[in-house]
Amino acid sequence: MTKRLAELIILSGYLILAVLLYRSTASYPVSVQGSTALYVRFLGMALGFFCSLELFLWFKNRRQATTEKMTIATVPLRFWGLFILLMIYSMALSYLGFYPSSVLFLPLAMLLLGAKKPISITLTSAGVLLFVYLVFATLLEVPLPEGSLF
Amino acid sequence: MILQALYALFTPVSLFAVFIGTTSGVIVGGMPGLTATMAVALLIPVTFALEPLTGLLLMGGVYCGAMYGGSIPAILLRTPGTPAAVATAIEGYPMTQQGHGGLALKVSVIASFTGGMFSAFILLLIAPALAVFALTFGPPEYFLLAILGLAGIVSMADDENRLVKAIISGLIGLIMAVVGTDPMSGMLRYTMGFTDLFDGIAFMPALIGMFSISQMLELTGAKSIITDTSAIKKIKREPLPKGIHKPIVLGSLVGTIVGILPGEGATIAAFMSYNIARRRSKHPELFGKGNPEGIAAAEAGNNGCVGGSLVPTLTLGIPGNSVAAALLGGLLIHGLIPGPELFTTYGEMTYAFILSLFVANIIFLLLGLFMAPYFAKISLTPTALLIPVVCLFSVLGSYAMNNSILDIFIALACGLAAIILQKTGFSLGALILGLILGPIAETGFAQALIMGHGSYAIFFNRPQALALWGIIFLLLAPPIYQIYKQHRQDRAT
Repeated sequence: MTKRLAELIILSGYLILAVLLYRSTASYPVSVQGSTALYVRFLGMALGFFCSLELFLWFKNRRQATTEKMTIATVPLRFWGLFILLMIYSMALSYLGFYPSSVLFLPLAMLLLGAKKPISITLTSAGVLLFVYLVFATLLEVPLPEGSLF
Repeated sequence: MILQALYALFTPVSLFAVFIGTTSGVIVGGMPGLTATMAVALLIPVTFALEPLTGLLLMGGVYCGAMYGGSIPAILLRTPGTPAAVATAIEGYPMTQQGHGGLALKVSVIASFTGGMFSAFILLLIAPALAVFALTFGPPEYFLLAILGLAGIVSMADDENRLVKAIISGLIGLIMAVVGTDPMSGMLRYTMGFTDLFDGIAFMPALIGMFSISQMLELTGAKSIITDTSAIKKIKREPLPKGIHKPIVLGSLVGTIVGILPGEGATIAAFMSYNIARRRSKHPELFGKGNPEGIAAAEAGNNGCVGGSLVPTLTLGIPGNSVAAALLGGLLIHGLIPGPELFTTYGEMTYAFILSLFVANIIFLLLGLFMAPYFAKISLTPTALLIPVVCLFSVLGSYAMNNSILDIFIALACGLAAIILQKTGFSLGALILGLILGPIAETGFAQALIMGHGSYAIFFNRPQALALWGIIFLLLAPPIYQIYKQHRQDRAT
């Protein structure tokens, strides 16, 4: 996908959002029609205006524009691999809890990103979890995600 | 009174409390998701067992330390430890990538120190008079203050195309801030049935996603943050850039004034100082690419907020921001009621507390200067080990604010969206600014219209409001003229 096409898709999405936002204020209570509903309507109108202006500029400059390709990731396997791993990790937190999920996430992510030495992987993972336990859990008593399975 | 306060402060126990508080504050502030507010709030039960003065000194030290600490990961990892460090990350991280992470840390600690000392001095001298001035601000002025902050969006753009995209980004931020409970009617809006969204989209997870997770995903293609490892060894010898004192002085002033206004936080102070410094800089084109002036202004601004926010807290019992609110809780628990009595009956304790802020600033200055070269070495850590660790703290930081798993997904979504938006030329800084200022703008706008019975004249018929309009005009006119001039030049060529 080219950058120009991505821009067009994003701006079109924003334009739809602007219309929906404007229309949604009709369901606000009568008491706030002159205050917060007015503010939200203004946001919708302003977004619609500026998106239309940007789309106008997009069409006006389309001949001079280069068809540069949009590269999201330089190493797609690692980029998307890490993102998927983060999604799974976040989901696992509510089932397994913080420590078991992290024990799996840290070494897997390190291996995915090219770490090879088992000692550094083990020591880093253990060190980080010990730090979280001592500082976050024990000293500051910050609540960590708890699992429903354990 | 001051002499008695000094005597009370310079005891081993008191000094130790300030030292422990400041050091813990730097550590807490340096961890994404752990804010100064949280640290002060967590300390309140600990201070039960202590003498009231020792407890206060501990909390004051944490406040000062945390405001500075947030800049360390912002500079080294583009992961702001506190929301107030976002503007620092915009300039600090590019400097780290160029091998000047140590210099960025040095500028940050010196600016933080100056801002903190200046605001503590103001607090000591003219606290009651300034607090009365801040009270004259009403909803129309708060709305205009938010507009003043949003005016910074214009300065984030270099040409007309960028300007329109920056405004769109800012509007998206403002729209994201609308999610949650309507401040006037209590009606739930755009929450899609998620109870976690009743209070709106928390900006800390959004911020962690946009700045930290997006950066870690981008780094998956690199071996370490910096490629030239020889540059990192020059840290100790790098002198401070020339003319850095101007943005520091400016940031200290802006931070203190913004801090005095109830409800205005360090984040707004930092962004406002950053934008004014950019406007006044001889090289505005270098902003966003690693300009130490930006770090200096932002850090002086957010630390200037510390003393400023304590002015209305101590004199009127109106907290200047959320950290000051937590600190106010600590004061009340020890039976110290804000007001004139605090400066007379309990004067010794109050002045000892104010003077301890100077000591806390000196402590974090020494810590920062001594530790900067060691902190900077983080940028040499192989990404294969660094990325998972930063991701874990980002996830933890997103969760810790509200104990919400949904916040983690918001952070991840914001991370991915940030990469796409940045690649297509939208401004993340403007988006975050919109998200932070949205609630203040909406509440101020709605309350002002109710006060004015629906008439917009309320935004123009008060002297404070007119003064703010003047400042907004002064901030907007030069960049818009610059863009117009650029547009005409382009057409001519």
